[in-house]
Amino acid sequence: MSIAPEPVAGARTNLAGMLVVPATIFVAIGLIGPVAILFRYSLNQFVPGQFMVDGLTIENYVKFFTDGFYLNVLWRTVRVAVICTIICLIMGFPLAYVLARTESRFKNLLIMLVVLPLFVGNAVRAAGWMTAFGSKGALNASLMGLGVIDQPLEIMFTETAVIIGIIAVNLPFMVLTLQSVIEGINRNVEEAAFSLGAGPAAMFRRVLWPLAMPGILAGTILTFILAMNAYATPVLLGGPKFQTMGPLVYGQFAQQNNWPFGGAISFILMTATLLLTIAANLIVQRRYR
Amino acid sequence: MARLSIEHLRKVYGEFTAVDDCSIDIADGEFLVLLGPSGCGKTTTLRMVAGFIQPTAGKITIGERDVTTLPPWKRNCGLVFQSYALFPHMTVAENVAFGLEMRKIAPADRAPRVTEALRLVRLTGLDERYPRQLSGGQQQRVALARALAIEPDVLLLDEPLSNLDAKLRQEVRVEIRDLQRKLGLTTIMVTHDQEEALTMADRLVVMEKGMVRQIGTQRELYEKPADRFVAGFIGRSAFLDGAMAEAGRFRSGGGLDISCKATASGPATLALRPERLAIGADAEACANRFPARVEHVSYLGALLDIDVRLTEQDRILLQVPNRPGAAEPKPGDMITIGWAEDAGLVYPREAKA
Repeated sequence: MSIAPEPVAGARTNLAGMLVVPATIFVAIGLIGPVAILFRYSLNQFVPGQFMVDGLTIENYVKFFTDGFYLNVLWRTVRVAVICTIICLIMGFPLAYVLARTESRFKNLLIMLVVLPLFVGNAVRAAGWMTAFGSKGALNASLMGLGVIDQPLEIMFTETAVIIGIIAVNLPFMVLTLQSVIEGINRNVEEAAFSLGAGPAAMFRRVLWPLAMPGILAGTILTFILAMNAYATPVLLGGPKFQTMGPLVYGQFAQQNNWPFGGAISFILMTATLLLTIAANLIVQRRYR
Repeated sequence: MARLSIEHLRKVYGEFTAVDDCSIDIADGEFLVLLGPSGCGKTTTLRMVAGFIQPTAGKITIGERDVTTLPPWKRNCGLVFQSYALFPHMTVAENVAFGLEMRKIAPADRAPRVTEALRLVRLTGLDERYPRQLSGGQQQRVALARALAIEPDVLLLDEPLSNLDAKLRQEVRVEIRDLQRKLGLTTIMVTHDQEEALTMADRLVVMEKGMVRQIGTQRELYEKPADRFVAGFIGRSAFLDGAMAEAGRFRSGGGLDISCKATASGPATLALRPERLAIGADAEACANRFPARVEHVSYLGALLDIDVRLTEQDRILLQVPNRPGAAEPKPGDMITIGWAEDAGLVYPREAKA
């Protein structure tokens, strides 16, 4: 009679390891590879007419950081992303809270409604807005027809248009992230705070906000990254005058054929996103731990 | 501490009446238990007192204050939840100090009150721990300390012991009761656990389907249950369905004539406490004596539970002491059982259609 334990746990661990492999390979091939190649390109030289010359230079990066135009694009992108993220948080939290706490039998339907905007592609939605908010669009035509305004409102091709557009895309991500975290907070904890004399504002500040912090972090990181890297929305709603980093990268690759500089801008965008995210994380963690 | 009065409280959700015309007066320092099966309205009643549910009608007064429309944060009720509901991101001391902080008490003045509250629940020295580092029993005591620290007018306990294991439950039960007496806390506890209710309460309120069935001490509820539901819910009862033949005589569905101290008429149910029944020689002196066939015997150590059948329709549960040397009845045995005239309680019954 054998008393050796069956290697159930070991077998399971191996299986779990196996299951991780496809995702790992996918990430390695689909992300790390191209990024590494891109980084290598960004150190190459661009000679007009010769496309790309192998080299090891930081001149592409120097070009970016010494030219006011590019710095301005970076600053504008960060500003838009920060504003979008903050507005998403302010608008998304109450919505997420209601969704998390509702006992309505239509809850799943409500969640579907939140996700609904994502069913429409960015480009399609932005095209719709172009017709709605253009100087001869439905909104301006209505307002002018009613005599509310005598000059068309300049909505299209402004920072406001881009911000509204990005918020519309990002809000569902913020809401869903927050909702799942708020659902995990025991309702009794809020009630305990109330019974101990905390009004709604104090309860929110001392209990709900800190307990929802993991969701707030995840949601803001997600929406911030999406906003920093937005492409279709700024192109269609911002137009050629309102450049952000995403379209700038694309332009260097597709229109200027300047791959080294495109690679450098890509890297600057990625690094800026990463640094700002880490910085926000550190600040929040110091505040709430 | 203060007295608490609930007058004609009512809560209706659409078609469903959760609590119907509930009136309870709780004396200063009294420990009152709301007892009933799940869905009976006891938790709804407690939550209306706490201020989480707005009553449809009725009035709640704490001391001299009408709190019916006040939000929970203005009621000064100490609340302990079944799930403890500690703030997971705060230490034990911060949890207990929370109510004091909300009352704008200076940090320096909070500390001694936190220490005192933790001393009361015997948790001295765990101030800096986080809830997740504590056992269930310890978390429960932190929740209690947190509720006590605000010096509440009323202490509300919502099934506070349900998440503890059986042995700990016994301990905490005694602890809460001692503390409640010592501090003279006006307390309402909600529970579905009968034993818990009986051992802790000064008075009990038995609720069913949103209605208060009976309010009384343990003895009153057990000796004089107000209706069939209470008779079956508090302790055990065997029920015989039948009708009153005349004043003082009940006729069971199986045709037994039973003398009782009741004057009602019409369809009725006779309730008998299993331990008020006698068997064999002990039954000789009883006013009601019937032959019975033993159907099932459960050996419970000090006691025997015996299911007997009197007639085709009449079955009864007996509980008799397990005497050494006495012959234990076996299923199929014929025995004589008996009970006194005043042992059977008669409740009117809706005739079955």
